[in-house]
Amino acid sequence: MTIEFRNVHASYDANTPILKGVSFTVNDGEFVAFVGTNGAGKSTTMRLVNGLLKPEQGEVLIDGVPTTQLKTSELARRVGFLFQNPDSQICSNTVRDELLFGFRALHMNMDEAARRVDRVIEEFGFNPDDDPFLLNRGTRQLLALASIVVLETPVVVLDEPTTGLDFRECVKVMGIIRRLHERGTTVVMVCHDMEVVADFTERVIVMSDGQVVDQGPTFEVLRNRRTLEVASLVPPQIVDISLGLSIMRPELAGTLVGTANTLNEMETAVAAAVGQPDRSQAAPTYAQTAPGAEDAAGIGGAEAGFVPDSEKLAGLDLESAVEYLAGEGDARATGFVRIPTSPIDPAGVQLNELLDAQYEGREANAESPAANGSDAFAADQTLAGSALGAGSSHAGSDAPFDLFNDRPAPEPVGAIGFAVPGNVRESGRNLVVPEIDAPAAKPDKGASTAHPDEGASTADSSDSAPSAAPREGGSR
Amino acid sequence: MIEIRNFSFTYRESADPVVQDINLRIPDGAFVGITGAAGSGKSTLTYAMNGIIPHCYPGDFYGSVVVEGLDTCEASLTDISQVVGSVCQDIDSQIVTSIVEDEMLYGLENFGVPHAEIDARVDEALTDMGIADLRDRVIASLSGGQKQKVAIASILALKPKVLMLDEPTAELDPASSLQVFQLLERYAREHGTTVVVVEQKIALLSQFADMLVIVDDGRIRFADSPANVLAHSDELLEIGVNCPRSTTLMNRLAADGLYAGSVCRNVEEACVALAEVIA
Repeated sequence: MTIEFRNVHASYDANTPILKGVSFTVNDGEFVAFVGTNGAGKSTTMRLVNGLLKPEQGEVLIDGVPTTQLKTSELARRVGFLFQNPDSQICSNTVRDELLFGFRALHMNMDEAARRVDRVIEEFGFNPDDDPFLLNRGTRQLLALASIVVLETPVVVLDEPTTGLDFRECVKVMGIIRRLHERGTTVVMVCHDMEVVADFTERVIVMSDGQVVDQGPTFEVLRNRRTLEVASLVPPQIVDISLGLSIMRPELAGTLVGTANTLNEMETAVAAAVGQPDRSQAAPTYAQTAPGAEDAAGIGGAEAGFVPDSEKLAGLDLESAVEYLAGEGDARATGFVRIPTSPIDPAGVQLNELLDAQYEGREANAESPAANGSDAFAADQTLAGSALGAGSSHAGSDAPFDLFNDRPAPEPVGAIGFAVPGNVRESGRNLVVPEIDAPAAKPDKGASTAHPDEGASTADSSDSAPSAAPREGGSR
Repeated sequence: MIEIRNFSFTYRESADPVVQDINLRIPDGAFVGITGAAGSGKSTLTYAMNGIIPHCYPGDFYGSVVVEGLDTCEASLTDISQVVGSVCQDIDSQIVTSIVEDEMLYGLENFGVPHAEIDARVDEALTDMGIADLRDRVIASLSGGQKQKVAIASILALKPKVLMLDEPTAELDPASSLQVFQLLERYAREHGTTVVVVEQKIALLSQFADMLVIVDDGRIRFADSPANVLAHSDELLEIGVNCPRSTTLMNRLAADGLYAGSVCRNVEEACVALAEVIA
């Protein structure tokens, strides 16, 4: 599904133009980041993609159809939208109801909805009866993202999905988004975290003062000094280091050091520059897998019946890790096996690339289980196997891809999306949607309570007496 | 100065303390960064310093928190607010007017700042934050980052002795985030303002803070200079705190035996170190 902007102008009031002739194309299956200063028009652009706003001049086309000719509900089936502030879109009294909301609003099959929601609840680790508004910000962000994921739209628009999240939460959210993309979803993301942009996106569109000032492959754009200056961008740190070294030591410009973009590349380049052997292949073991990755491993891995033994993996170098994991090849063919990775785990990224290459090689092997047809799913997986590396199998397929089981969904419900006009969503907690069952009673606050720092449920108890009395000014 | 002694706090709705046995001394004019995983107790620590605990969030309060000579249990929230300016994590909960200029005036008028001073303070704060052109704008029409700048400016205009900011750059672009930290560093240096910032942007904290406080599960795990704290990168990762990429790179090169210098906090230090490594 392509998204095309043709000379788009837009504003919120007549005196304040926000977009001043924006043109770009996002192709099917791409992962594109929009970057730029505050007020450049990024979020406004996102709202034009899902029809919350309509252009005053120019055209926004979704698969060649102008958004002015599409109802917002029709766009909602195509484009899932994650708002910058999750509180702008959370409107139900329980986690489960929040995840079901989109299905109800779009009058989708509720049996399928229940099945998908139950699976997402389990895999995201939610408590279905929690009050969304008592969860901490990171968990609310995950809930808002889950409400998009569960609807399996071909396009997702994410407005700053990592804002306000800590490192672990960021890893978890971006891991989910990466897997969405790998299964063919077109991802359009506004993001200020340049490390996230560098780690995950293929292409970057730079906006400044309501216009597109540059676009292209991620590192090509982020290394362009003129673009960085015009758009007041700060490059990712490794890029910044390589650019800085090229200035400090002009003879390094154009060398491996002067062109390194990632941690691994820079480490290898420095080793080569001082005459040391390439250590990157022998380097990180899974002892360095980022925290939270174990959570990511559970997504899909448990469903497939194979979860990599993280203790066994720890201490293995890349080659041995590939051997261990590839040896579980049947599991790889029959389920979702992907190594949890994180922005700071380049070894994990590298390992996945090696596994994908190995897997694609096995597709051509007549002795592979897939070729033998010994497992019907494996046969399907073979056909779609390249998706794990190329992320393209979903392209052209009408059947929605089952994100967590890495196979076509058994009962396609059509590509549906979820976006609600802002004036409905932003009415907040008291939103009432017709034809929906009465909302469940809110859980007793004493049983499930969160305060600003924690989302954990705690019971109200006065059983444990402190050893000294609390101060009068504080205890109530 | 801010002095926290043996501070523990349990919210009324909770059975367990959110923070325990906190001891921390922050000298005048210090720039302190606080970070940690979600739910670790960072915000609770700031609420204790700006009086929201115990005045707005009741619970069991042990120990003492003294800010500029005011015991936060005994002084009124109004008195505390006169010396501590706070920027909340949720900007929308803090903005109370509809026009940027009115938001700037709100605190100044309520604190009885002389009329003759008000205009100059508004001009200075808006200019410092780079949003002088937004003075007459409707706040609802601003981007998330612009609103965040307005909130910060409205507190800067009050010229408090202590600035307490909870994730003030969450919605800001990198250049604006850097600008805010540069501004805060200038306030600390030129006005002797004590600055306490809760942030997830470890790179900025490492670059600007005099002291980095790492909170883990309600306790202070580290409270030291950024270089000394970042030397424990493995431990930090275990508790969910990432290091700047530049630090990680130099730590990896050190593990490879390619670098033997001190911990690098930022891009500039890494560039200087690498220029020497690659002789």
